[in-house]
Amino acid sequence: MQNSIERCLDAALTGPLYFGQILIQKIGAGGFVLSHRDDKTLDELKTSRNAEDAIEIAKYDDAGNYRPLKTAPNLRHGWRLELDTLEELRRALDYFYPGRLAVFAAWKSGKLQTTPLRETLNRQSGMYRIAAKISDTQIDNLVADFCRSNGGCLRTILWKRDGDGAIASTKLPKEKFDPSHDQAAACSRRPVGDARASHSEAATAPLLCQEACNLLVAECRTAVKGE
Amino acid sequence: MPQKSNAALLIVAHGSTVNPDSSAPSLAHAAEIRRRKVFADVECAFWKEEPSLRDAIFLFDPKTIREVNVVPNFISEGYFTQTVVPRELELNGRITNRPNGQIWKYCEPVGNHPLMTDLLLRRAHEIAPGIPESETSLLIVAHGTDLNENSAAAAKREAEKIRSLGKYAAVLNVYMEEPPLVSDWRKLAKTQNVVVVPFFISDGLHSYEDIPGLLGIANGRSVTGSRGARGEIFRHNPHMIDDRSLFYAPSIGTEPGVADIIIEQAEKSARV
Repeated sequence: MQNSIERCLDAALTGPLYFGQILIQKIGAGGFVLSHRDDKTLDELKTSRNAEDAIEIAKYDDAGNYRPLKTAPNLRHGWRLELDTLEELRRALDYFYPGRLAVFAAWKSGKLQTTPLRETLNRQSGMYRIAAKISDTQIDNLVADFCRSNGGCLRTILWKRDGDGAIASTKLPKEKFDPSHDQAAACSRRPVGDARASHSEAATAPLLCQEACNLLVAECRTAVKGE
Repeated sequence: MPQKSNAALLIVAHGSTVNPDSSAPSLAHAAEIRRRKVFADVECAFWKEEPSLRDAIFLFDPKTIREVNVVPNFISEGYFTQTVVPRELELNGRITNRPNGQIWKYCEPVGNHPLMTDLLLRRAHEIAPGIPESETSLLIVAHGTDLNENSAAAAKREAEKIRSLGKYAAVLNVYMEEPPLVSDWRKLAKTQNVVVVPFFISDGLHSYEDIPGLLGIANGRSVTGSRGARGEIFRHNPHMIDDRSLFYAPSIGTEPGVADIIIEQAEKSARV
């Protein structure tokens, strides 16, 4: 039986779908093939057929460095993942972009709650308590740099800076807050006119950010400490 | 444990922004428990990785999941299990009734379970097969001086339990940063054979580099950030030092039997 997350994913898969830097395509009788959206010739890619292989694929970038933020625009290339069922697809996508499908499903059903950055910072304890002392100007600059889609993070920001509804950063383009915008397009390296240009027609499911991640909280702490 | 079609399991763990292996045991245990179909859904959430503890609030469909059992994959009670996890998951005690109708049950950490003793014995035996335990000292290594953490006390408790079995010539709890120090193992252990098991939930800087350095078996290369070389230190047993045989095991949390403990901790909470 499909749960609401799988139903949401199924509904989004009317054709090829971009989810972050991943291209999802339906194949055969109910199967799926996943690849990096920039990889042109699927035949030359290393093929896996186990959803759990996504753990290792997602762990390192092209240079072999650990990826602490899975929604950073540095998913490695050169792989192809073939999966038989929607359940396996959901599991693989959860390894690539942990938690993002569930947040997408909650957003689609109108049940996603967002948390302002100030609220996130104010509840911290221990070594992160000091992060709450960050100024509005520091937040404006930090979020613009740390969360930018081109080089930072591919999530669409839904949270506000504070309870008054101030924008997370005035220095980010308005598309950064728009769930209909394809955040990964800005960092796609696919050349114009390649064999898979038709996939530019692919729909996009956004990687939504309902609350600042621990990495951003840690960066706020660093900014306060002046390190 | 009989399958409950409306119950889910959430394994919560620390995770790391620098150690690629920190979340690996939790993900592996989750995959194993998923295979057993004990719960309708099995997920993980992390303090330092994704999905975050905050994301976890949205992981379970309230229409199909009525009960979520939260099992901390931690070696002991402490700051994270008592402060960070409840705060981030918005738990208010052992049982939390959510506005969406779900009941979230907060279980005891993995390290509290009596089966941890069996896992330590199994790991010690596997790392030194055929070596007579009566001629072997078993060293259980914890960090020590952790602020607000009780892992040192937990390691001491496990050492006492294994010592009382009378199988090993000696069983010692040793620490990286407080006496008895793991670096003093040559003096502390009197036997020909020494088995060392790190009492940590995952492998990482401590088990790959720090403890080998303190034991005198490190090869001097940093391996934590690189792909492939991690775990190499465990593939050269026994390490021969001063004509003694030292067997060095991966962290206890990587033992597949931890999956059984996670299920047991959830089962205990189901009886509440």
